[in-house]
Amino acid sequence: MTVQDVKPTRSELIELKRKIKLSESGHKLLKMKRDGLILEFFEILKKAKTVRAELDEQFISSMEKINVAKSVEGIVTVKSTAFSFKDTPRLEVESKNVMGVVVPKIESSSIKKDINERGYGIIGTSSRIDEAAEAYENLVDKIILAAEIETTIKKLLDDIEKTKRRVNALEFKVIPELSEARDFIILRLDEMERENTFRLKRIKA
Amino acid sequence: MEIAVVGKSEFTLGFRMAGVKKILETNGDDLVPIIRNILKDKDVGVLVIHNDDMAGLPEKLRITLDELVTPTTITIGGAGESSNLRDKIKQAVGVDLWK
Repeated sequence: MTVQDVKPTRSELIELKRKIKLSESGHKLLKMKRDGLILEFFEILKKAKTVRAELDEQFISSMEKINVAKSVEGIVTVKSTAFSFKDTPRLEVESKNVMGVVVPKIESSSIKKDINERGYGIIGTSSRIDEAAEAYENLVDKIILAAEIETTIKKLLDDIEKTKRRVNALEFKVIPELSEARDFIILRLDEMERENTFRLKRIKA
Repeated sequence: MEIAVVGKSEFTLGFRMAGVKKILETNGDDLVPIIRNILKDKDVGVLVIHNDDMAGLPEKLRITLDELVTPTTITIGGAGESSNLRDKIKQAVGVDLWK
């Protein structure tokens, strides 16, 4: 909105004052939201870094273990054992709200199992397969944890960016433009009043 | 809900050992339709995919996967995920806090 577009009337001035007040309170609220989101982000950042490092480590170790199992037992044995596994891990994915940001909350049924609960025969397989299975159970556990934390952090970052843009737009564009328009109307109204006074004096004289 | 794993057979095999049943093997060419089918599946809560496969997806689909809460996508293997997060942090906060 440029100053030229503004109609210098009292009703426009009242409307502009109302808009400025609303923008200022919105700016204050958004700033508070941004600070709150940044605090939440810092709280979760350390956890995210640890979980990601553990996840990468666990993935490498699991791959190593399954490769050892494949090379010792043969790929056919490992594959046939893998297909005999039962009990799929079930998840409960819920959404929770952190300062207006929808983040997932994931809970799972127990992933780690005893050897005799896995579904394959103990006699026909070696300990390398057991180790690989255990490593992958730990990996899935870590994946579930990382999925929740990393998605939360991504959502928080997206919202921090959005809120920052809104705060900046209000602070550096909307409020200054509205204030400029308000000042222009005040100036024009004062000028009109002075013109009126002058006109009246001329008529009287 | 279940965990779904998408990728090459050497990547997915181990997940069968953890009891994961929704495993979709791909050689890379049919990855996009597989992912689209998973997005339609209401029973998938977490989608596990290799970083290299994720990098090969069209940008629009990657953004969709990034933004969805169900399924929540997690990428492993390679260095893609941490660098992706690092870029996001730099962009949002202005400082590289992922050190």
